[in-house]
Amino acid sequence: MARVLLLEPDFQLGSMYQQALKTGGHEVLWQRTAQDALHDVDKSGIDIVITELQLALHNGIEFLYEFRSYHEWKHIPILVLSHVSPEQTAIGRSLWEHIKITAYHYKPRTKLADLIESVDKVLALNPA
Amino acid sequence: MAHLQNEQKSDAITPENRLLLALAENLKLPLLQIARRAELGQIKPRQAGQAIKDIELTADAALQLLDSYLLSLNLANEIPAALEPVSVPAVLAETAQKLEGLAKRYNCSLELQVKGRYEPVIAHAGGLKSALTSLGMVFIEAQSVLPHKKPATIQLAAHHSRGRIVAGLFADVEGLSADMYRRARTLYGKSRQPLTQMSAGAGAGVFIADSLLSKMATNLRVAHHHKLSGLAATFAPTSQLELI
Repeated sequence: MARVLLLEPDFQLGSMYQQALKTGGHEVLWQRTAQDALHDVDKSGIDIVITELQLALHNGIEFLYEFRSYHEWKHIPILVLSHVSPEQTAIGRSLWEHIKITAYHYKPRTKLADLIESVDKVLALNPA
Repeated sequence: MAHLQNEQKSDAITPENRLLLALAENLKLPLLQIARRAELGQIKPRQAGQAIKDIELTADAALQLLDSYLLSLNLANEIPAALEPVSVPAVLAETAQKLEGLAKRYNCSLELQVKGRYEPVIAHAGGLKSALTSLGMVFIEAQSVLPHKKPATIQLAAHHSRGRIVAGLFADVEGLSADMYRRARTLYGKSRQPLTQMSAGAGAGVFIADSLLSKMATNLRVAHHHKLSGLAATFAPTSQLELI
């Protein structure tokens, strides 16, 4: 069982992703803003971060940069689950590698089962 | 600094299709919610009953947004628009009723704040109700995202100001300013998040509401009701017909 930080602004989607991941056997901390997410990571040990890029108040990319600026969190895998398709972001592969995004999922094409499978794969490759 | 590529090429976007682009971007969310809810209902069969109710609510909200958009197009072609004396308190009350289910789903509460007497205003009754409903959907979604110390409340309110009637939606929204809204009006259809301070999404309901209200010779603007900020339209009262 892993502790997952889910950064998802939408109330309905966040609830569904949280429930699905719990069914997959994980503990899920769900936050809707970048500030609250960073607070959670600081307070609790997190094994993996799942984040939307389209956030209210903050840019999801800014959150990722800030997250990766903390040395003690550099090893935590990040999985992007976003309304924005990877082709539509202005970020090149080198920058993705710099931020160390482990996986990128486009929400319309990612079922709940796909998300659970991806989380399990990422955690298996990045044991805590 | 890396950033989201959230602007379409400007020469591909005409004023006519900006609203359509915003609507299309916005509709991804309810369709996604429906798809995932259906999937979750299969993963957790005990929740199937609630899943069906959620799907119905979400589908109704999406259809309402579509209808509001289509009405804004129809009103543009209707010259002159079928305007009539309309009771603002009555429309606000109907809007509150229509939004109740969605507000509850998003853990927000709605308050109707209409004190005193209000003369009728000349407006398109259906258009005004659609505008306020579309606006309400954005407020509900936004309030559920923004951090609050207590459960979010959205007020559907009217008040008098300088002999006119101001009616709209108000909530505890930091950062909602005239500048922010002016910027958002230039960005919708080109940016994925024109209302960043308020919403993580396209906020199409705001711009559809604005389009509807423009057919009634008014527009949405940032306004205040007691200590809350919001978006409202201003109407001149008419003495054409006194409603008792």
